[in-house]
Amino acid sequence: MLDVSRVQKELVECNRDKQISGVSILLHDGSHDLSHLTGSISGPVSSPYEGGTFTIDIRLPSGYPFEPPKMQFVTKVWHPNISSQNGAICLDILKDQWSPALTLKTALLSLQALLSAPAPDDPQDAVVAQQYLRDYPKFVSTARHWTEAFAKITSLGIEEKVQRLVEMGFPEDLVRSTLKSVNGDENLALEKLCSG
Amino acid sequence: MANAGGDKVSDEIHLKDDYSTYLFQCCVCLDLLYKPIVLPCGHISCFWCVHQAMQGVQESHCAVCRQPYYHFPSICQLLHLLLLKLEPVASMRRDREVMEEEKNRRIQSPQFVGQVALPNSETENSSSTNEGITSTDLQLVTENSSAHGLSKKITLDDALCCLCNELLYLPSVLNCGHVYCEACMASMAGEKMECKVCGVLHPGQFPNVCLDLDHFLEETFPEEYASRRQTALVKKSQHQNGDASSSAQGDCTSKKKVDASRFLDDESIHFGVGCDNCGLYPIKGKRYKCMDCKEKIGFDLCESCYSTKSKLPGRFNQQHTSDHRFKLDDSQLLSRFLIQTAAAGNFEEELDEEENVDQDGGNDENPNQFEDI
Repeated sequence: MLDVSRVQKELVECNRDKQISGVSILLHDGSHDLSHLTGSISGPVSSPYEGGTFTIDIRLPSGYPFEPPKMQFVTKVWHPNISSQNGAICLDILKDQWSPALTLKTALLSLQALLSAPAPDDPQDAVVAQQYLRDYPKFVSTARHWTEAFAKITSLGIEEKVQRLVEMGFPEDLVRSTLKSVNGDENLALEKLCSG
Repeated sequence: MANAGGDKVSDEIHLKDDYSTYLFQCCVCLDLLYKPIVLPCGHISCFWCVHQAMQGVQESHCAVCRQPYYHFPSICQLLHLLLLKLEPVASMRRDREVMEEEKNRRIQSPQFVGQVALPNSETENSSSTNEGITSTDLQLVTENSSAHGLSKKITLDDALCCLCNELLYLPSVLNCGHVYCEACMASMAGEKMECKVCGVLHPGQFPNVCLDLDHFLEETFPEEYASRRQTALVKKSQHQNGDASSSAQGDCTSKKKVDASRFLDDESIHFGVGCDNCGLYPIKGKRYKCMDCKEKIGFDLCESCYSTKSKLPGRFNQQHTSDHRFKLDDSQLLSRFLIQTAAAGNFEEELDEEENVDQDGGNDENPNQFEDI
């Protein structure tokens, strides 16, 4: 059975200093289900991920906090320990090194640290890891490019996209929810809107 | 269950916004410590938090420092009573919450009256109305303490060493939950470390100082603490050779390395079953199961505790008495599970299912009955 009161406390604690820590957690899609959360971390300074905001899907198993939370990057990211395909994360504390004294906040902070200090010897994405080891400058530029392309969705940008799509004749609510579901990708959203 | 709170979620978050003000907070439930247990490494957690965090199949690790441990320690009553005085309102709230949960799970943690755990004889004749009795007992405890007018203020009497009877200086907690100064404990550590209060042998390594408690005492009783430190320093310089604390520290680190491999490849592990006397969990070697305890959780002893005869009540408030009969039980042997499941070819699945078997097993017919814990 999920420890509801602990999760609530964690949410309060984590969001209290989100401006300083750069990590925050919200309920997924504003629902009331405490077992499905959305975390976000800001890319660490002086790393290829600087300036980006990365969204992480968090699912809490019923045994939480005695079992680790399941975390996955929703935002596409180019990193040796994160799958470029599905966002799966290779980090020991999310697996066998989890401890019930760790929290969602500390886990997100660890992910932030992972972004600034990759471990290419224990990779999740072999392609990225090889590039990191063989051609570091190219890795940095690719990672930077991915950050620019996928992790920088300013609110202004969203509004512009919404406006453009609304002008095409789609209802605003639908446009917003569709954009959110494809993580702000205007082309994908348009495709979805047309097919749906 | 996760969304049972429904619309109240946001309100509750707001209400509980002040939780971080507790001086003694459990690192697992992030709430005020309730029925605190001090692990050999000196870190504190709630009774149920430690219980749930323990592994049924191998050694457990402290949630904070990951130091391995093998025994489920008893509740530290000194700390428990301190907390009742320090945070009377929050303690009562925790009391209600935990009691409600225990009722739902039909399982109990040890109950206290005054300074001592309830002896078996007192509740023996009323085991059928078990839950009612213990809840009134708890009320008695809290009423008593408030009636004495002691609940407001913590005095030196609340933090005395079991041996030197002075204010605790560098307190360490034995597996039985009794607290000693580190130096006092070192002085009584011979081949076997036996608690001077309850006479129970302390298994495993020399415990570390409980720093949270130490800091609290230093702040609460600054003068007395300073004088205790002074005398301790004088003593230490007198006994340069028998420098207790440093030799004890050395012991810990050397033992840690040995401990790590102790449980590996051992076939005599009783999966998910703990000893109700010393707290060894899982039991290694022979397991003796009580045939007369009616509690769902059962009552088990490890071989060494069986041969020394237990005087303690069960870890989960079982009404065990000395005339109960025991039998050898190997139904939870890990090797059996391995053989059975290997034959069925679904070991991994099986292990997942069995993960939540309760510490004290005793539920052989239906090992999954605690799965919703």
